[in-house]
Amino acid sequence: MSQLNPSALTRLIESQSASDDPQAATTIQILHNLQHQHLWTSLQTHDIVTTSDSTVENPQDTPRTLISGIPPHRVYTHPDEQLYMLEKSITEDDLQPERMFVIPTAQGQKWSLRRMAVAFDALASLENTVTEDAEVARGSADSGKVEKLDEYYEKKREAQVTKAWGTRRALLAMTNRDMGGDGTVVYYIVQEGEVKPRQN
Amino acid sequence: MESAPSLPISISYVSGRYLLFSIDVVTYLRREHNICGVLIGTLPQIPQQNVFLGLPLELMPEEARLLVDKGVACIVDEVKAHDGMRSLLEEDRRAYLRDLETQGQLAARILADRKEQQRVQSLKEIDEKRAKGLAAKAAKAAQAAAEIQATETCRSSTEAEESASLFAPVDEKTSTSRTTGTTTPAPLAVMAVTPTTSYPPLPEPAAAEHRLPRPDVPLSYPLFAHLHSLGYFLSPGLRFGCQYVAYPGDPLRFHSHFIVVSAEWDEDIDLMNIVNGGRLGTGVKKGFLLGGPQKRRDEVESEADRVGTVRTFSIEWAGM
Repeated sequence: MSQLNPSALTRLIESQSASDDPQAATTIQILHNLQHQHLWTSLQTHDIVTTSDSTVENPQDTPRTLISGIPPHRVYTHPDEQLYMLEKSITEDDLQPERMFVIPTAQGQKWSLRRMAVAFDALASLENTVTEDAEVARGSADSGKVEKLDEYYEKKREAQVTKAWGTRRALLAMTNRDMGGDGTVVYYIVQEGEVKPRQN
Repeated sequence: MESAPSLPISISYVSGRYLLFSIDVVTYLRREHNICGVLIGTLPQIPQQNVFLGLPLELMPEEARLLVDKGVACIVDEVKAHDGMRSLLEEDRRAYLRDLETQGQLAARILADRKEQQRVQSLKEIDEKRAKGLAAKAAKAAQAAAEIQATETCRSSTEAEESASLFAPVDEKTSTSRTTGTTTPAPLAVMAVTPTTSYPPLPEPAAAEHRLPRPDVPLSYPLFAHLHSLGYFLSPGLRFGCQYVAYPGDPLRFHSHFIVVSAEWDEDIDLMNIVNGGRLGTGVKKGFLLGGPQKRRDEVESEADRVGTVRTFSIEWAGM
């Protein structure tokens, strides 16, 4: 009788996780899933700087890390942005890839509005520090397209202020580490405030 | 036709429900204050006929509270207020009955006028036909056609009158005068009027001693008030398994945007509920809106102080 070999994921978690943090395994597993199942690139983890808010009852359940990366395709397009893109005949392929943030959680973990807010507040400060590498040169595009895209980016900057194209957003990732444990990770788009749904 | 009722509006509190009985008030609240409520009136003998419901309109406690907080409405204990019916002065009672009779006469007169108009109209049509018939070669054939037409118009006008006179007392004289075609006006019978509200004869607004304090509201009130202040119309969420359904405009014109669930700031939320809400919302083309006030009830003086601290999150399935 030979002992069953642990899975590649289990070995990865064992090799990387610091034993004192129960959330580290979740983060590693979701990062792994993003990298290999959804083919995200430039993946990073960010530690959430815990604020002086010490009133939190279950500190072990407050989110500690965020993941960010660049998805191969856009995960979310606000309906008004989509309309604008259609009108100007801009396709998703014309646009620069965008960095997306992910909040790693596991089923059974305690969650609350405060914890969601902690993650989003961290996001607000992180967005300023994480800057992308130099802009990808779009040499092959013709001048008309470049102009259109410049208009689009200008509009997008305005929309960020007016929140016309949605607000600060992140993916809430949930894994079923404890129950069943088949390694499924589900993703939900969370945006702060009232943002109208994509189909309506 | 826009009619603004006198403020504050009286919300009738009857056996634990907040009710409105006046259609003017209902349309005013919907138009000016984005409050829809739920129509619950049906036929007492056939309550299963509930596709189209009518007055009264039931308000959620949140809606009633919001209107009271805005100073638009006050809550009236109808049981106590209707005790006033007994102490009504005999003179007031008679005056009220006279008023009802006047209304009945007015209604009867309007109905009679309409009948007269229809009669004149059909006679005119017959004359026109007849004139045309004379000009034509086959005068006889035309006259026959005109007669057929005359009987037809007569019949159709009778039908219209029948539907209108459903509430009028049966009056032999008017029917005979119609068939014989005499123009003598029949004496008017008074129509019976059933009043739909009891204000009047009860004084409006209700006396201060019958007013009730602000309605108790569930913990989700701050989120309700927050969304309402952003212009959303909110209706009860049982249909979608949530607390409220939020419409971006009047529900008759818009699909709803959100299924809304409220939570306290430190209330534990099972992540599975977020999955449930996100999936359900996406399945019915809505967003799942989770939110709540950052302050607990014991941290503030009044519920209104919590409304400003509400934070919300919109959740949709990512599709990956």
